[in-house]
Amino acid sequence: MAKREPSINTENFTAVQLMELDSCSRCGECVDWCPTYDASGKDPGLAPRDKILRWREYMNKSYGLRAKLFGPKEIPEEEIEQFKDDVYGCTTCGMCATVCESAINTVELWESMRANLVKRGNGPFGKQGAFLKLIGEYKNPYMADNKDRTNWFPEDVKIEDKAEVLYFGGCTAELRQRKLALATARVLNKLGIKFTMLGEDEICCGSALIRTGQYYVNDVAKVNAQKNIDNIVAKGAKTVLYACAGCYRASIIDWPRLTGKELPFKVVHITEFLQDLIEKGEIKWEKSIDKKVTYHDPCHMGRHVGVFEPPRAVLEAIPGIEFIEMDRIKDNQRCCGAGGGVKAGIPDLALGVASTRVEDALATNADLLSSACPFCKRNLSDGRDAIGAKELEVEDVIVLTAEAMGIDLSDTPE
Amino acid sequence: MDYFAGVTDALRVTFVQMMLISALAMGIFVVGMYMNLKKWGMGSTGYGDTPSKSILAFPKMLMYQMNEHAHVHNQSVLETFVLDILFQRRILRRSPLRWFMHFTIFVGWMTLFALSFAMFFVEMVHMIGEKVGYAHSLPEFMYPEIFRELLAVPNDIFSYILLVGIIIAIYRRLFVAKVREATIAYDSILLIGLTIITISGFVADGIRTGRFWGFGIDAEIAPPMALFHVVISLLFCIAYIPFSKYIHVIAIPLALLANKGGE
Repeated sequence: MAKREPSINTENFTAVQLMELDSCSRCGECVDWCPTYDASGKDPGLAPRDKILRWREYMNKSYGLRAKLFGPKEIPEEEIEQFKDDVYGCTTCGMCATVCESAINTVELWESMRANLVKRGNGPFGKQGAFLKLIGEYKNPYMADNKDRTNWFPEDVKIEDKAEVLYFGGCTAELRQRKLALATARVLNKLGIKFTMLGEDEICCGSALIRTGQYYVNDVAKVNAQKNIDNIVAKGAKTVLYACAGCYRASIIDWPRLTGKELPFKVVHITEFLQDLIEKGEIKWEKSIDKKVTYHDPCHMGRHVGVFEPPRAVLEAIPGIEFIEMDRIKDNQRCCGAGGGVKAGIPDLALGVASTRVEDALATNADLLSSACPFCKRNLSDGRDAIGAKELEVEDVIVLTAEAMGIDLSDTPE
Repeated sequence: MDYFAGVTDALRVTFVQMMLISALAMGIFVVGMYMNLKKWGMGSTGYGDTPSKSILAFPKMLMYQMNEHAHVHNQSVLETFVLDILFQRRILRRSPLRWFMHFTIFVGWMTLFALSFAMFFVEMVHMIGEKVGYAHSLPEFMYPEIFRELLAVPNDIFSYILLVGIIIAIYRRLFVAKVREATIAYDSILLIGLTIITISGFVADGIRTGRFWGFGIDAEIAPPMALFHVVISLLFCIAYIPFSKYIHVIAIPLALLANKGGE
């Protein structure tokens, strides 16, 4: 009789990740801090510890001692399907990695599980399945004409054809939250920084595909990353600025990994760039923003890359701002709920997490909740609306910077 | 050759018994670790790469990650080894009580293991010395009877340190609701094994020396009790490591090294 085949395989897992499954001591710290587990009403399937346990059991059933001696034990399809749903109920915020006593790189582990399940035919989750087609066809996940990325900029905005500084706008800011992109462009103009943009040659950074485990399909993410890199180099850029935490993380961590090469330019978040100029005294503030402001660390910029201080330095430099911190900040920040494909795949869960984060902000009595990522802004705004906290403004740090520099953004097109 | 419990002829576990059990435990451990390396080696040696299915995949990927630049906490191997593996600061950051519990178990266990190994080493050197003829020129402390007495106090101290950790662990598993509800057999087996080993060690020593932990049991029971302690120690804490939660004593330091101490 033919030996039964294992129900799972190890595609998309690294050897170290398979070892990490055995290094979980089940201390439960990840369960205490997981934002989606909390927002789901403590659904046990969403607990990070439980996901590791289940995949370890799948590994042992498929490749462990008993499997070697008597053949692999079958794992019911319904069980794997349920596991897939649970693995996608995660914003890849990385809080579990921060508190993990065993130092398991959980974000990478969840992404590998997702990629494995996509390859197996189980993933991705719901609407996330459209990312691949949309990004392949439109070069952005919003089904927008790629020419519309920058052709809407008002005439006063000066974008060079070639320059040493390039602003990588990102799909969300260029196509959906244009105030942020316009603020960034006008701030750079006002500072006299000559910069260029990719315009219609810009392609989605790949974050949506990578986070949802679809990065390897037809090598779309890798091909797009390489095209973006080539296009950036062709523009003569040596420094690339980002005002989107998702694009920033994808460029600094995922692009070198996908292409197998170091980037031929420096990746800088706009708040890092501004902090440097503030320290040199090169920013002239023209307006006071008399508000109590708190700041939400985007996961992709904070925990994933370690950029915590620059946005705070910018906010604290803006005249009139009374900066106040929430209880959970920096390493211990609570996710906004939008990442990891959750906003697209499980919007109710995303909204639940966002509402909790907005409540964190309300507890400080802040007038304004700021962040440095358009995706965070979108979900925090939705969370604010969901709990009816109309008095709380949600705005990006770069927009506040522009306003304090006396830049008018009222002509931002829809 | 007397070993471990020898005070009189009646209280001896033989060298042959010891070596057989040790070899068996080591053999099972090696086979188990080979199987784990094969299992881990079913992964790739790079993100998104095809699984290599080579036993060398794990060491290759480990070395790659240890040499890769990390954007967060890009700390040295030495710092990871001292502060994260030995001092276990990641546990301390999360829970001082759990750190104290784990640290006492870790320190107690590792020191007792080292002391047992030192005793074994002295016995071997002396035994070979007797055969070869240099035993008479060994320094006095290298005589097994004397070395055993030298180890008596540190053995006691670290046994009690270990016991303190185990008592806290049992308390948490039984009386802290959140911990109790999350406990599965995978966790329980580790703690039960550790408890049996530790208590059997106290009892074996107590019977041999006639102290408190002997509970007045006849000294003739000392050799089988010592043998039981040794067998269960070797089987649980060496042979069973690759097949149980005990694997964390190997896997966690490796994860810490691979991820440079973690985020």
